[in-house]
This record gives sequence, C-alpha cells and structure tokens, in this order.
Amino acid sequence: MLAWKLARRELRGSLASFRVFLTCLAIGVATIAAVGSITSAINAGLAANGRALLGGDVELRLTHRFAGAEERAWLDAEVGAISEVVSFRGMIGAPSGERALAQIKGVDGPYPLIGTIELADGDVAEALAVRDGVFGAVVEQTMMDRLELSIGDALRLGTNDVELRGVITGEPDRQASGIGLGPRVMVSQEALEGAGLLQPGSLYRVAYRLVLAEGDTAERLRARLDEAFPDAGWRWRDLSDPSPGTSRIVERIGTFLVLVGLASLAVGGVGVSAATRGYLERKTETIGTLKALGASGGLTVAIYLIQIMLLTLMGIVIGLAIGAGVPLLLAPTLRDALPVPADFGVYPVALFEAAAYGLMTALLFGLWPLAMARETPVAVLFRDVVESGRRFPRPIYLLGLFALFAALVGVTVVFSGNVMLGGFFIGGLVAALLAFALVARIIRWFARGLGRRQKITRGRPALRLALSSIGGPGSETSGVMLSLGLGLTLLSTIGQIDANLRGLIAGDISESAPAFFYLDIPSPQKEAFVMAAKKDSAIDRVETAPMLRGRIVKINGEVADPEKIAPEARWMLRGDRGLTYSSTPPEGTTLTEGAWWPEDYTGKPLLSFIEEEGRQMGLKIGDTLTVNVLGRDLSAQIANFREVEWRRMGINFTLVVNPAALQGAPHSHIATVYAAEGEEGRLTRMFAEDFPSAVAIPVRDVIERTKTLIGQLADAVRGASLATILSGFIVLIGVTAAAQRRHLFEAAVLKTLGAEQGTLMRAAVLRYLFLGSAAAALAIGIGALAAWAVMTKVFEAEFAFAAGSALIVGVLGVLATLFTCGFFARRMVAVMPAQMLRARG
Amino acid sequence: MTNPAIILDTVSLTLQSKAGPVNILHDVSLEVSAGETVGIVGPSGSGKSSLLMLMGALERVTSGRISAFGQDYGNLNEDGLAKFRRENMGIVFQSFHLIPTMTALENVAVPLELAGRADAFDAATEALGQVGLSGRLDHYPSQLSGGEQQRVALARATVPGPAILLADEPTGNLDGSTGALIIDLLFGLQGSSKATLLLVTHDEALAARCSRVVRMADGRIMSDERGSA
Ligand SMILES: Nc1ncnc2c1ncn2[C@@H]1O[C@H](COP(=O)(O)OP(=O)(O)O)[C@@H](O)[C@H]1O
Ligand SMILES: [Mg+2]
Repeated sequence: MLAWKLARRELRGSLASFRVFLTCLAIGVATIAAVGSITSAINAGLAANGRALLGGDVELRLTHRFAGAEERAWLDAEVGAISEVVSFRGMIGAPSGERALAQIKGVDGPYPLIGTIELADGDVAEALAVRDGVFGAVVEQTMMDRLELSIGDALRLGTNDVELRGVITGEPDRQASGIGLGPRVMVSQEALEGAGLLQPGSLYRVAYRLVLAEGDTAERLRARLDEAFPDAGWRWRDLSDPSPGTSRIVERIGTFLVLVGLASLAVGGVGVSAATRGYLERKTETIGTLKALGASGGLTVAIYLIQIMLLTLMGIVIGLAIGAGVPLLLAPTLRDALPVPADFGVYPVALFEAAAYGLMTALLFGLWPLAMARETPVAVLFRDVVESGRRFPRPIYLLGLFALFAALVGVTVVFSGNVMLGGFFIGGLVAALLAFALVARIIRWFARGLGRRQKITRGRPALRLALSSIGGPGSETSGVMLSLGLGLTLLSTIGQIDANLRGLIAGDISESAPAFFYLDIPSPQKEAFVMAAKKDSAIDRVETAPMLRGRIVKINGEVADPEKIAPEARWMLRGDRGLTYSSTPPEGTTLTEGAWWPEDYTGKPLLSFIEEEGRQMGLKIGDTLTVNVLGRDLSAQIANFREVEWRRMGINFTLVVNPAALQGAPHSHIATVYAAEGEEGRLTRMFAEDFPSAVAIPVRDVIERTKTLIGQLADAVRGASLATILSGFIVLIGVTAAAQRRHLFEAAVLKTLGAEQGTLMRAAVLRYLFLGSAAAALAIGIGALAAWAVMTKVFEAEFAFAAGSALIVGVLGVLATLFTCGFFARRMVAVMPAQMLRARG
Repeated sequence: MTNPAIILDTVSLTLQSKAGPVNILHDVSLEVSAGETVGIVGPSGSGKSSLLMLMGALERVTSGRISAFGQDYGNLNEDGLAKFRRENMGIVFQSFHLIPTMTALENVAVPLELAGRADAFDAATEALGQVGLSGRLDHYPSQLSGGEQQRVALARATVPGPAILLADEPTGNLDGSTGALIIDLLFGLQGSSKATLLLVTHDEALAARCSRVVRMADGRIMSDERGSA
C-alpha cells in the first residue's frame, strides 16, 4: 500500500520531534492503566477470597434477635454446616480501669467454617476456651495499645470477666461484619452469657454463616428459605458479592481516579495536537510536493494519519507497559498497605480501557490539524507564504471529530458506570478546555489592542515586543494557556475541595459536636444517667431520646422494593433505620410540610419522615409506612416531613412516631453528651462504672479519623493528578520548545534592528509572566467554581474560597512559566543573529 | 578616497560545521567610502552573504578587524553592537525576515521604538507610505505578498535613516518586475539619504547600477572595479 510505504519513509528520522507526543500519551495511558490494574487486582482479590471474606457460602443476618428454635432446626436440616456469630458494640474495661469502645464478636464452636483466624501466637479455639473457669478473649493490636494491655490481663466485658489470651493478626471475615467503630474483641458466645450485654432493644446482629449441602445452590436454598420463613427478615448475602461495601468503595475511588487520569490524557491531547500541527507545518513543502506529484487530498491525509496512528500505538504500548508494570513491581508494598486482599497481575480489560482512552484522545486531538493539512495548496512550493483558504476542516472530518467525541463520552460513561459522574466530568473537562481556548483568544485580542495603545507602549519596547508576541498570529498563547491551565485547574479544584472538606469538619462540625454518643442505655437507668451527667461540671448539656431500630418493609401496604425507587434513596430500604418516639418535634428540626401531632395524641399511629430522603422515595403526606420493629410490624401514616441539619451532629432519626404507637415496645436510650475537650477519658470511666452496658462513641475520635481518611483520599487523588500536572508541564515545555525556533529567529531579527539583550530578556519574562498569571488566575477561578459545585451540590455544605490553596496554584503557575522561560530564553538572548538568519537563507 | 565608512582589514571567517571547520572568507580587505554604492557579485557560495553579515556586525570575525566610522567592532560587546547597528545600519535580507507576530506598521516601528523615538509610529506610517503601502499598515506578514513584504523590510531598514545600507539579494525571492520595483525603491531611498549602500546580487546588470563592483569567488575578492557606470 502506497500510503503505508510513504508514511513509514517519512516517519523515519522524525521520531525525535514526537517526544512530547509520546510522553504525554504514555503518561495518560499509564495512569489509567495503573489505576485500572490496581482496582482489578482488588476486585479479583475480593472474588478469590469470597468464601473466606463471607465466612461461608452464604451469610444470613438478623438484627436484634437470634434465630428461633424452628428456624435454627430448619437451617440445621437444610445446609451442610452452620456457624453462628453475634456482633455488637460494647465497652471493654482494662485492669487499669480504662475503658474503650470495642467491636465485640461472640463466636460459636464451628467458627470459622472457612479460613482461619490468625493469632500472633497460638490457636483461636484454644484461646477462647474455658481455662480454670475463665473464658478467653483475643483482641486486635490497636486495642492492646489503646488500653495498654498485656496477655493474661483480666478484661471486663459487661458484668463478666474474661482473660486476654492472644492478639488477632488476621481475620478474613472482618469486612463481612461491617466496618466498626472500635477495634475487634473476640470471645466465645458462652462468655457473653450473663454479661448483660445482649438485652432486648440493644443493637446486635447475629450472622449465620452457611456452607451449602452437597449439590445445593445458593439460589435454591434462598427460594426454599423464603418459602419456609417469608417474614423472618433475613438479610441474605452470598458469593456473588461477598463484600459489597468494600467493592463499592473500591469501584468509586477507582472510577474517580480513572477520570483524573483522563484529565491527564486531555492535557496530553493538547500536546498531541500541538506536536501534530508542528510536524505537519514542517512538512508543508513535502505535502505540497506530494500534491504536485499527483497525490490526492485523501492520500495525503492517509499518509499522515498512518504516521499519527503508529506514534499513538507506540505511546499506548509504552503507557500500558508502565501502567501494568508499576503495580506489579509495587505489589508487595501495595499488598501490605491495602486493607483488603489484592491479586496483582495483568488485567486485559483494565489495559484495554486505558488503550481505548489513549487512542480516542490521540485521534480526537490529532485529526483537526491533519484535516487542515489536507487543505495545503500546491502553490506553497512557489510562493513564500500562503494562507490556506479554509479555517475549518471539511464537513466529513468535522463529522469524524464529532463521532470520536461522542464515542469518548460513551466509553467514559460505560467504563465509569456512572452517567452523572462520567458525563459531568467530561462536560467539565470540555468546558475547561473551551474556557482556556476562549480566554487565550481574549488574551491575544487584548494584547493586540494594548500593543496599539501607544500611550502604554511608548518608551517600553520590551512590553511592546511581549504584547505582539502574545497577540500576533501563530503565537503559542493557546498552547501555553491550555497545557499550563488544565494542570493548574485540576490542582486548584482538588486544593479547594480538600481545604473546604477539612474546614467543614474542623470548623462547623467539631465546634458544635458532642463529646459522646451513649448508646444502649437501658430504660430503667435513663434517669440515673441524666442525673449523673448533670452533676458533672465538665458536662455542659445532655440530650436523650428513646432509641429503636426498624426496617421499612411496606409502603402503602406493598412490599418495599428498593428497585422501585430512586437509586440514591435505595439504602433507606436496605437495613435498619433509627426510630424514636416523641410528643414534640425534636430539637433542631424544621417541619417542611404537614403538622406535628398534639402532645397527648393517642389515635392511629402517625409518623414524621426526613424530607430529602422522603422526596427521593416519592413519599407523600398521608402515605402509610410499615416498619418492622423487633419483629413486630408497625404501620403508621406520614403526618409531616422534617428537615434535618446533619452538621449539628445531634441525634437524628429517620423515623419519629407518636409515643403511643410504640407503647410497651422494649427499647433503650441514646444520650448525646456535650462536654469539654480532654475530659473524655475520665467521663468514660465514670459512666462505665455505673452503666456497664452503655456504649460510648467518642465523637471527636471519629471526627479525627474521618479527617485522616479525607486526607488520605485527597492524597490519592493528588497522586493521580500528579500525572496531569506532569503532562501539563511536559506539554508546556513542548509548546515552548516548538515556539523556540520562532523566538530564536525573532530575537535574531530584533538584534539586527538594534535590540539589546536586556530588552529581549525583559520581553520574554513579561510574556511568560503574563501568560503564567493569566493561566493561574483562570485555573483558580475554574477550580473554585468546580469546588463550589461539588461542595454545595454533593456535600450540601457551604463553600468558602481557600485563599491559601489559590495562592499555591498562582505561585506554581508563575514559577512553571518562569522556569520554562529561563530554560529557553537564555539561548534566545545569547544567539548571534547570523546563526539564525543564515539558516533561513 | 575621503571619509571611509567601512574598513575591512584582512578579515577571515571560519565556521564550525558537522564536517569540521569550514574556511569561508580568506584575508578579505576592503575600504568603502561614505556615500558609495557597492555591488558585490559572485557565484553562489562564494561568501557574499557572509561578508555582509560581518559588515552588519551580525557575526564576529575569526581574524582581522572591521570598523565603521572609526568604531572597531572588536571593541564592542553584544549590546554595544546592537546599539551600533541601531544607530548606523539598515539591513535587507533575501527572505525579508519580517517578524510574523507584528503588523507591517509594527515591524517598521520596531527599530525606532528600540531607539526610543517617541514618534515611532508616525515615522513608520510615513515610511510605509513612501514604499506605497499606506493601505497595508495593519496587515501581518502572512497576509502580504512577497514584494509587499520586501517593501516593508525596506521601509524598516531605512526609516531610522542609517548611514549604511546592507542588502543581501533583496530581489532573490521575487519575480522580475516586482524585483525591479524594489531595486528602484532601494536606489531611490539611498539617493535621498546619501547612505552608503552595499548590495549583494548575482545580477550583473543590477550590480552595474552601483558606483563600484566587487567580485568574489571562493571567499576571496577577485576584482574591485570603480566608476564603470
Ligand atoms: N552555518 C554555516 N556553517 C558552515 N558553512 C556555512 C554556513 N553557512 C554558509 N556556509 C558556507 O559558507 C560559504 C559561503 O556562504 P555564503 O556566504 O552564503 O555565500 P553566498 O552568499 O555567496 O552564496 C558556502 O560554501 C556555504 O556552504
Ligand atoms: Mg547568499
């Protein structure tokens, strides 16, 4: 094929001029490939270890109750093996009197059915067994540290004592028990008997891990179970998704990081476009000659399209090699750092995704200059300078560009699995690209206008030179603005969001936040608890509320099906919701619709529902919800909707009913304790003494941990955006280098006309300072806008402009351009005019 | 021989190329009086452009000395040379060498601005008028024909009123009639300013319009004829 032969011949020897092209493409592809590989590795790890993670083939979970005798008998008869595990939050007391919140797990004899619990030393069954009349316990290292424990210590568990016998180093089914608030403490179920911890109304979960009987399948078992106990309220989980929480989080973060990688590709695209245009410009004569020799426009495009494709493939292959290789190399380190199992390897789908993005971006950005090259007239050979008549490619190429763009959007949406996120991200990216392109135009126009204002430029030749260099045709303004601008925009957006999130947590929340939530205060002890709290001078305020939990099982008499409501509200139907009763609206709530019931109301049960979720679920005043509370169904009519200010961090219940509706239902109380900082330790000990079953959740600890988590997330995102910033910088250097020949030539001419070195240097610095600060200013603006959208729409919080982060972006922008300037301008200033002018004849 | 404008004293130029050092000019000596018009002819590659670059102080000699109006180039640093060019030289190239990011008017105004002239744009406008481009002030080089570009270059070289005009095959990239127009303009401008003109060309007829013709070959001056016109 002729085009192929000509293309290969041409490409030979010009590889050097495609360094920016290749590097940018490779960086973008490598980022996406690496993120994809790591995500896939985690998902594969979760899948491969599914049985161990789940603790069986199937897990059935009950809340607030153990399986009844009939249910248990049915299960024993129907499955191969069964293990019962109860888990709940509780307080652990050390011999020192210190107390700490723990995630307590009571296991039975057959536990664990699958996998092994690893201890630092010894066997778990032995460790938990009775020895000299005392049961054993094993705990996580964090608990050892927190309470300064040593093996052999007596631990207080409710009203019982257990002996600390080991440290847990591996608990494969940890995720299945939910991500808890405290470190793990594991005991045998017998050790919990008589401890007073599992009372009616207190929150505990019982999980039945099942190994299927020979020849049975999960689906069939589920069908039989549903038939035998249609109203049991089991939560079913099987190997199809052994760790839904984890895989969802991994998926989310992975998606987000891929999008960040896409941003780096977009910046790379600017480099691709610039490199292609520059290359084709240098080939103007060749193209003219080809045409003069009878090559059609189509053939010309084909020749260069083949070259661009070859280069693209090369860039993609390099990127894939890096993107697949680096996670493999780092596998040992990553495996230790990740809290979940990961199977590192080569994941073709992830690599394919990265390659697809790379290919589409390169084509998208390369096609325009290519289509424009087609319009090069033969006359270019005979006249020195020719303006080609067209400003836009032919319709067929425009159509091609549009199709490519549509494909890119489609692929992004498909891969990200999230129409909103993918769509918004691409939309934002395109908007940012357009904004920078537009502002580049405005800057050029502005520079031209300013250059004509003789009042401003008179006597300032450096300024004049800088302005015409920015404003004139063929200037690198657009390239510099786009490459620098996009990188800075990403940095600015992340910086603003990060600062706002931290501020939100540090400021609004923690100032008004309580010191503790106390859960599971038994009803008879409630008054005593409040009295004790009021007596202590460190406690400012205590609020209590009856605390129950219930699952919404029916809406207007029909079985509540999560699939039938908006996806963002499905979680409302998936588990237990907080439930309380009150004769008056709880503090800090605002009714948005409907009215509260009279204080002494005893009629048909009425219900108050939180507004936003209610809307999302499509509920109206007058609808009837059926809530399963401790196995009993309660039907109540929605009387009003209320708005909850979640940042108050007080007690919030999804459901509030009138007191009479819950008459006689066993329940405990929750207390919110507002106290001075630093008093937590003493207060925990004080309450533990008199209210051993009450569980303290130290809110400030949780806030601290959330802050750390946000920080880690921000670091991950920042790491991924490093690729974008690096790409941006490389493109910046590439664009500048491409313009360098022209600047050298201009400098030579200007010297011929009598320009001194200082003037030229000042002109260069002014030019870059101007472009750098314009790019930075716009990046700060767009970043703030994006962050505002995220904060107000996603987090429903207020947005405050973070000046510190903006300052960093500004300084970085100016530094980057000045560095580039310094890098190139020295040669420009040093060049002898003859050197440049000679080369041009 | 009154009042020498440029003196070249046994000037040699050696440039480094990939294949090693290339001797381009060998012991060239030449003295040009103020107001003289000198045509420099010779085959391609004989060193004409190089000679002009040296006289324009766009390149440093390898050995020998060049001075203009008594100022030895060797005693000036880069900035000194730039200043000297600004005050004394107008240079026209075969490829025009306009600055592509500047309009015709801005191109012509640059040397005046660099010299700190307050009336830079007025003078530039007038100069462009003199070369017949009043209607093209705001055009960028890419929007001008070759002949128009060279007229802009001519206006740019002459507008500060230099005492020495250097032109390196100013018609080399132009068709015959356009070239003739440029040459007429060049001589016209030279005539009115009484500047010293050094004109490189390989057109014998054109060279004959000068008061003196220097012939070069292989980096040496082969003959130097005066007053034949
Ligand atoms: N940058 C350079 N490096 C080495 N040799 C050069 C360079 N530029 C020109 N030459 C050589 O110097 C010689 C004189 O060139 P030039 O002055 O352009 O001649 P002319 O203008 O008479 O055609 C030629 O042989 C040319 O090949
Ligand atoms: Mg020459």
